[in-house]
Amino acid sequence: MMTSYLLRRINLLLVTLFILTIASYALAYLFPGEALQNLSGQLNPNDTTYAALSEKYAMDAHPIFGFFTYLGHLLHGDWGTSINSGKPVLDEILSHLPATLELSTYALFMSLLIGIPVGFWAGIRFHRSVDYAVMTGSVVGFSIPVFWLALILIMLFSLNLGLLPMSGRISLLFDIPERSGFIVLDILLSDVPNKREALYNAFLHMILPTLSITIVTSAVVMRITRRSVADVIQSDYIKAAIARGLSRTQALWRHGVRNALLPIMPQIVMQFTVLLTNAMIVELIFSWPGIGNWLLQAIYQRDYPAISGGMLAVSAVVIFFTLTMDVLVRALNPLKRRDVHGTI
Amino acid sequence: MQLLDIKNLTLEIPTASGSIKALDKVSLSLKKGEISALVGESGSGKSLIVRTIVGAIPDRWNITADRLTWKGQDLLGMSEHKRRRIIRDEVSVVFQNAVTALDPTATLGEQLLEAVPDRLLPKTMFWQRRQHRLALAQKQLHKVGIKDHELCMKAYPHQVADDVCQKLMLAMSLVSQPELLIADDPTMGMEITTKVQILRLLTKLNQTRNLSILYVSHDLLAIATMATNMTVLYCGQTVESGSMSELRHSPLHPYTKALLDSAPSFRKDLPRKTPLSSLPGTIPTLQHLPIGCRLGPRCPRAGKECVKAPKTHRLHNHFYNCHFPLLPETK
Repeated sequence: MMTSYLLRRINLLLVTLFILTIASYALAYLFPGEALQNLSGQLNPNDTTYAALSEKYAMDAHPIFGFFTYLGHLLHGDWGTSINSGKPVLDEILSHLPATLELSTYALFMSLLIGIPVGFWAGIRFHRSVDYAVMTGSVVGFSIPVFWLALILIMLFSLNLGLLPMSGRISLLFDIPERSGFIVLDILLSDVPNKREALYNAFLHMILPTLSITIVTSAVVMRITRRSVADVIQSDYIKAAIARGLSRTQALWRHGVRNALLPIMPQIVMQFTVLLTNAMIVELIFSWPGIGNWLLQAIYQRDYPAISGGMLAVSAVVIFFTLTMDVLVRALNPLKRRDVHGTI
Repeated sequence: MQLLDIKNLTLEIPTASGSIKALDKVSLSLKKGEISALVGESGSGKSLIVRTIVGAIPDRWNITADRLTWKGQDLLGMSEHKRRRIIRDEVSVVFQNAVTALDPTATLGEQLLEAVPDRLLPKTMFWQRRQHRLALAQKQLHKVGIKDHELCMKAYPHQVADDVCQKLMLAMSLVSQPELLIADDPTMGMEITTKVQILRLLTKLNQTRNLSILYVSHDLLAIATMATNMTVLYCGQTVESGSMSELRHSPLHPYTKALLDSAPSFRKDLPRKTPLSSLPGTIPTLQHLPIGCRLGPRCPRAGKECVKAPKTHRLHNHFYNCHFPLLPETK
């Protein structure tokens, strides 16, 4: 049952990725300019290079053969060269994506850490002053545009109060060799002399970008949790548990928490997509060297190989994350085990 | 001694359009070792009474009562903690609709084990406790008629049939060896053979362990054979209460009579093709309750006085709330 489900999910993952590669290949033709240039990233090649590239991407054959050749190159790690920097696109992505993932992970973690307990609190005090206060805060939280919020935070904490740095991941004074791309991990792996100071500095840089994303996402998580908790509290099994002599708190801990959280996990997973988009916007404002920042630069410079490669990478991350969480949710939720046909 | 004694219990539910008296001066009492039936149509407030007794109602609902006592101790006045201890150790409830009353994400075994109270376990080391718990739980499962205990305990509520859930609910409430079992329609939707088994089990427990039972149901046929007393409820008002046989043979309240008449199996003299009797109209919704006696608009004997709620009258051990009762001399 579980294996067949797993196979279905992997199948779905592969099919979706395949369609994405089709889209990415089609982009090369849809972008202005020559398809070969958009695929390879070689600007104004001379005749010999042109002939070589044309053969490499099977330009003379039918586009379907061209696509499968392109797919073969993708699988071999040849994603073309960035027009902007002249480096291979895949290397660029691999050096920028970890920064985004790092920021998103912190933001997601913080959103859950804030959103779920506060949502629980509001759900328990459903339709009372605490609930109204939390809901008001949450409406304000997710109504604020994230780029505006980021700018306000910079103005307040960096410019006016001077407490926190306003851009980058770490102060330029520290020279951290890049290994995994995750700054905290890199600091821990490196043997720079002032490890503790470097960590503290990286932490300070992290606060504002994380906070601006967290405020928006935790507001949504809060609402989802609060609704679910309010429903669970009114359910018969909580009443039955209380009638069996458990106190309200006991009943809620033993029978409420799991029942409230399990059904909303897919909804929370969905928030990751929104969170990633927000992270890419926030990166630009805080000059965080992530994929969002890099992609925007690519768009400014009309760096077509980079744009299609970045699109492919970001969507692959989202799909992979969603499907993994989907499998995890199913493994955890006994109620989900009965329906074989999954939905995305 | 009265085990449970309820006198003039009123439950008000505040809503946007004023408060609604969901229970209006309900009285009910139960002696030790007695099986008492609480009868009424759906929506008459039977389940609300059950929930009020065990305290599983929202805080903002307003309860007032002249008496709500358990063995002479006032349940409303005592601290939450003390009340919970009494409910946990001495009273058990089988809820209506067992499927929703079970935690959907916990296995039946986990829930049954949770219901085994510590006081029944022998004084042993803590790692042996689970074994004892398991043994008690399994024994109880066999008693309520679940043979394959291992399969049942591993299953989640949605994986087993509804009547298994009901049996498990019953096992959960009996495993703590309560003094009073409040059974809210425990045989709802069960097959007739299973139902007979369950009723027999309850009767046996009543005789062997002196278990008092408050049997809440609208199934007159099931109740008539086992209960000693009956309380009839209509729209949150007590209509009549007394011993089962007296109520059955000489009902004093028009509603009780209508209720008994509507169960054809009680009438042996029923000729063929006679229309089954029923009261005109339907049970009013909570938002549109009539004033005075709530049966008023549907009652065949209603008069002017019925706009005022009747007081409780007494005839020997038989209580009724009616201005125009079916007394022998008026028959």
